[in-house]
Amino acid sequence: MNRILSKSPVFNGFFFSNLFAFLIIWISGHIEIESKTMIYSEFVILPLLMGMISIWFWRNLQLKGRTITGYSCVNGLLAILLSSVFLKEGVICLLIVSPLIFSFIITGAFIGRTILRKNSQKLNVSVFSLLVVLFVTDAVQEHHYENMVADEVIIHASPAEIWKNVVAFAPIREKNNYWLFQIGTPSPRATTVTGYYQGAGRKCIFSNGYIFDEKIVTYQENKDLTFDITGQPRDPEIMGHIDILRGQFLLKDNGNGTTTLIGNSWYRLYVFPTWYYDIWARSITRNVHLRVMEHIKQLSEKK
Amino acid sequence: MALIFDSWLKLWMLSTRPVVLDWIDEIEAEVLSWEGITGTLHQYGGLQFNLGKVEIGHIHSNGIMDVLFSRQFKQELMKEGQIEDHHLFTKSGWISFLISSEEDKNYAKYLLGLSYERELHKAKRGSLVNPFV
Repeated sequence: MNRILSKSPVFNGFFFSNLFAFLIIWISGHIEIESKTMIYSEFVILPLLMGMISIWFWRNLQLKGRTITGYSCVNGLLAILLSSVFLKEGVICLLIVSPLIFSFIITGAFIGRTILRKNSQKLNVSVFSLLVVLFVTDAVQEHHYENMVADEVIIHASPAEIWKNVVAFAPIREKNNYWLFQIGTPSPRATTVTGYYQGAGRKCIFSNGYIFDEKIVTYQENKDLTFDITGQPRDPEIMGHIDILRGQFLLKDNGNGTTTLIGNSWYRLYVFPTWYYDIWARSITRNVHLRVMEHIKQLSEKK
Repeated sequence: MALIFDSWLKLWMLSTRPVVLDWIDEIEAEVLSWEGITGTLHQYGGLQFNLGKVEIGHIHSNGIMDVLFSRQFKQELMKEGQIEDHHLFTKSGWISFLISSEEDKNYAKYLLGLSYERELHKAKRGSLVNPFV
C-alpha cells in the first residue's frame, strides 16, 4: 500500500477516490442484471464516497472551505475525463452528468470533514459501510422507468391540410434554437414513409444521419397517427441512455379554421436517478416535438 | 437535497465571491473555539453551531446566516438596522443576516456570540434546557 501512496496527500485524494470509483463501476458492471442501465448509486453514492475518500487523505492539511470546494471540482473533472476515456461516454452526456457529479463530490467532502472532526473511527466506518451497502443493494435491484411527454400547437389550417405533413415531411431547414441541439445533440431533420396505411414503415432522420425505424400502428386519417419505434441508433451520447418507445400525433379540429396538433412521445430511461435525468429527457423530447411540430405548422400554413 | 443545494451554493460562491467562503471558515474557526460549541451540517444545508443540543445559529454557503433569539430581543436588534427577519420564518425569533463584507463577518460573530451568551445564561438560570447534555 505504501508503494502506491504518493507523498502528496492532495494527489492521493484525487488518485484513490477515482481508483475506488472505477473499481466499483467495473465490479458493478459485472453484477448488474441490466448492464445497459446506469443506476442511482453510480451518480449519487459513488461521488459521495469519492468526496469522503478524498477528504480522508486531505484531513491533516487544514484545508479551507474554498480549497475543498475547488479540489472537489478538480476531482469531479478528473472522474468525468476518465469516464470519457474508459467508459466511452460522449461530451454532451458528460456535460449533462457533471452538475450531479460535482455537487455530490463536494457534499461528500464536507460530510466527510464533519465526520472526521467527530474523531470517531466507529462513525467513519459505519457511514462508509452504510453507503457501500446502499450501493450494492441498488446495483442488484431492477430499474425500470418509463414516461411520456405531450405538447401541442395551434395551426391555422384544417386537419386535412395538416395530415399530409404529419405522416411525412420535407427536410427541416430552420436554424436550431435549443442549446443542446446547437452543441451537437441530434435533432430531427426529415421523415419518410413507405405508405399511407396502418403497418407502413416510417423513418425519422436526425441531423447527424441517425435513423429511427418506425412502424405505423394506428392510421386514422386526419385524426391519429401512432407509430412504434422498431429500431434506434446507439451511440455514446444521449441516444444510448434513452429508448423512444412510441410516438403519436393527434389532430383536433377546433371548428374555427384552426387545428390543435398534439405530439406525444413515450420513452424509457436507462439512467438513474430519474428525478435528475427525467428533467433532461423531458426537455430534449419536448424540443424534438416542437421542432417537428413547428415545421408541420409552417408547411401547413403556407398558402 | 438541501445538502446538495448548499454544495451548489459553494460552487457558485467559489466562482463569483470566493472570499465569502473564507469568511465563513473564519467565523467557523472562532465559534468552534468557544467552550461547549460543536459544528454539524444543518438540515437545510450549511454549517450549524450547537451549544450542547441547542442550535445557536447556522450559515448557508452563500453567506446568509440565521440566528435564533427571543422575539423581543430580535426587535431590539432590528433597531441596529443590520439584520432582517428570517428569510422564511418571519414571525419567529430567528433573524437572517447576509455576510457580504469584512465588517459583516465581524458582526456575524457578534450575533452568534449574543446567541451563545443567551443560551449559556439560560443554562445557568437552571432552565430545563441544559446545553451541555
